[in-house]
Amino acid sequence: MSSTAETAPAGPQAAGRWDSLIGPFVPVLHQLTRLAVLLFMVTTLLFFMLRLAGDPALVLAGNDATPEQLEAIRAQYGLDKPLIVQYFNYMGNLIQGDFGKSLASGERAMGKVLTMLPATLLIAGLAMAASICIAIPLGAWLGFKPERFDRRGVSGIIFVFQGVPGFVSALIFIQVFAVNLRWLPSLGMDYGNVKTWILPSASLAWFLMPSLTRVVAANTAEAMREDYIRTARAGGAPGYSLLWRHALPNALLGAAALIGTQFAFLVGGAVITETIFAWPGIGWLLIESTQTLDFPVVQALAFCIAILVFTVNAVTDLSFQYLDPRLRTKGN
Amino acid sequence: MVKPVVRIEDLSLEFISQAGAFEALKGISLDIGEGEIVGVVGESGSGKSVTAMNILQLLPRTKIRVPTGSINVLDHDVRAMSEKRLQQIRGGEVSMIFQEPMTALNPVLRVSDQINDVILRHKDVSALEAEEISLSLLEDTQIADPRRVYESYPHELSGGMRQRVMIAMAFSCSPKLIVADEPTTALDVTVQAQILRLLKERAEKTNTSVLLITHDLAVVAQLCNRVYVMYKGEFVEEGTTQDVIGNPQHVYTKALLNSLPEGKTPKSRLATVAAAMLEGGSNDKVIKSPVAATRIARSGDTVLEIKKGTVRYPKDYNFFGRPITFHTAVDHVSVDIKEGETLALVGESGCGKTSLANAVVGLNPLADGEIIYRGKNIKDHDPETRREIQIVFQDPQSSLDPRWPVWKIMTEPLTVGKSLDKAELRKRAGELCEMVGLEPDQIDRLPHEFSGGQRQRIAIGRALSVRPKLLVLDEPTSALDVSVQAQILNLLLDLQDEFGLTYLFISHDVAVVRHIADKVAVMYQSKVVEEGDTEQILSAPTHEYTRTLMNAVPSLEKAFAA
Repeated sequence: MSSTAETAPAGPQAAGRWDSLIGPFVPVLHQLTRLAVLLFMVTTLLFFMLRLAGDPALVLAGNDATPEQLEAIRAQYGLDKPLIVQYFNYMGNLIQGDFGKSLASGERAMGKVLTMLPATLLIAGLAMAASICIAIPLGAWLGFKPERFDRRGVSGIIFVFQGVPGFVSALIFIQVFAVNLRWLPSLGMDYGNVKTWILPSASLAWFLMPSLTRVVAANTAEAMREDYIRTARAGGAPGYSLLWRHALPNALLGAAALIGTQFAFLVGGAVITETIFAWPGIGWLLIESTQTLDFPVVQALAFCIAILVFTVNAVTDLSFQYLDPRLRTKGN
Repeated sequence: MVKPVVRIEDLSLEFISQAGAFEALKGISLDIGEGEIVGVVGESGSGKSVTAMNILQLLPRTKIRVPTGSINVLDHDVRAMSEKRLQQIRGGEVSMIFQEPMTALNPVLRVSDQINDVILRHKDVSALEAEEISLSLLEDTQIADPRRVYESYPHELSGGMRQRVMIAMAFSCSPKLIVADEPTTALDVTVQAQILRLLKERAEKTNTSVLLITHDLAVVAQLCNRVYVMYKGEFVEEGTTQDVIGNPQHVYTKALLNSLPEGKTPKSRLATVAAAMLEGGSNDKVIKSPVAATRIARSGDTVLEIKKGTVRYPKDYNFFGRPITFHTAVDHVSVDIKEGETLALVGESGCGKTSLANAVVGLNPLADGEIIYRGKNIKDHDPETRREIQIVFQDPQSSLDPRWPVWKIMTEPLTVGKSLDKAELRKRAGELCEMVGLEPDQIDRLPHEFSGGQRQRIAIGRALSVRPKLLVLDEPTSALDVSVQAQILNLLLDLQDEFGLTYLFISHDVAVVRHIADKVAVMYQSKVVEEGDTEQILSAPTHEYTRTLMNAVPSLEKAFAA
């Protein structure tokens, strides 16, 4: 690496051999470095902060445990060693892919997280898809002629929806579809039973849809004022072509950023929704393991969520390059 | 007269808003015959773009009211047409070319899609045939590599290239009329000349009529058979181009022609439209004596010396964010300016003139060479030197903080490293206002409450606040109307007389440079290719680029000589 520093001043136009060799991969290397730093920070911070939160031995042993029992439990889990020794032991194991065992159940912590993950990804994916399917056409319609009376009415309703907290709409959904109409189960998950997927996904989608709709509508309205729309109109383009072919693709560039942020939020586990519907995903696991001070599981969760959020962001960035030709590099 | 392609009769138009109705057109009438090239010339806000847009009914129908008048295209009243019928006319019988090549094409669609769309909409052809037509249209616009342009996205093309694409698109369905709204305003002079020639050739070849909307009388003189002069929503004069420009009748037309620097004695005061139209309280104040003879005696000392100045911008970075390849914007440029003199840097966009200007005020570091101001290297950041060199930017719309009142904007340079009380600053701001021809009681207003010309006065006042000796003026008039340009040029000449200022004047406009500059340096592709006395360089250029530039400059004189 030191060769870079030496070759650079030689001539401003001449890139070092090392630079030209890795040149094309620099963006990838940057991303990987960022991921490594992120994971290190998350694990380290969390390790020390969790130790401040409480003594897991107390939780494990129960309220009426004797001091001797507590000592035994601490010894068993290595909790009696100095914190810094515990930290290095933990990091050493982590580098070898060992996240430790759950204090509560004795299962491998990462294994536990990974079995819960599909449930979260399932409702996250469904909710996102549903939200997109509604928000884009609705937003496009609203943004096409935002000054119209009907659109202003609908915009107002969506604005109100945006103000309703997620758990309120989840409870209303349960009341209507599970209690009153008895169409759908209110709790639990069964991969084989699509009916159990609907309420959790729908209430998540309900939460995501208003803000996405409003962003699509605002961006569409803005795109409709652009010069290229005037050019298209002067070329005889009819209204639907102005909207779908000219304005919307430009409007979606802005919406893609929000979709990315929303999805990154969802893969972290929709804690409240999963708890309300007793949905065994990682959000639910997060609550469960935090309450029992099950450190290895919480750590594994954080690690996993960090990778997921990072991946979603990276994919969002890549999708920008796909959507916006101006961001594609030359030669591609 | 030949059968009119477009006939507008007694057309009035109002914009309706919550603030009330604004009368944009006041009973205008216009005819364009087959194959005719007709110009509409006027300043911003005169209603010329509204006229253009209205022929194709492109203004939002809910926001306008048309009390009187009719617009007939090929003997059909467009105002009575359904939206569907209008869509057939738009791009079919009448097409448009717009000003901003940067924003007028859709950034996410390829050129191919954008041209083919228009062809497929109006002609009964297959997609394959449309492609063939598009490619031959692009070839007709003298694009060297039509296939590459055809497959490109707009951002991959230069401004001139995009405007060629617009022209290809406009001609795609053999229209009877092309409405060109300031088609070359955003382009470099040499490119402008090519585009205008192309437009004229294509129109003549296909016997297409053209309605050319522009603020530039020289462009009209070069291109149009007839011209309408527009002022505040009315046509104040019309006739053959020769008559109107050679022998103007209306007071506005005369004033407009007089405000042009072309053909005037260099450094003389230009007549302004505002004064001619007797709009009470013309703010074109004479600060001291307007006579050039009273200019402060020049010491003849060299004030600024740029020695092999080089500016580079990083292009690619390595893993650690260290730049490894560079783009050279200014390449070993050496020029010097004597006290009280004006040196103009002329060149087209991207030639490096703004980079050099920024280097002089210390906004860009030099990669190589040095800039010496009165014997001191500006690299040393001597506060006194920095104070004596100030800059005025091109676009006063975006270079002034929209949330700051004028007094704060103007006196901000005074507060660097010093704390002055508010009353003192406001007093200074009032003085500065008077100096640049603004009313001192306007110091509490915000930038958006001023016109473009007034905003540029604010920017000049701000630069003057610290009593600089050298003023770097980066295209100070190119965002302004010609009549306002005349006012700003007058102001700059007055200030130079009064305070013995030295100017580094960046411009692409040869007529302005001829008017204001003592010396000129021509920049081309990051280098100074020619420099010397203004008159000598501009009348007898030796470098090939300067010659091309001089030939490309649209001028009234040349148009009539031809």
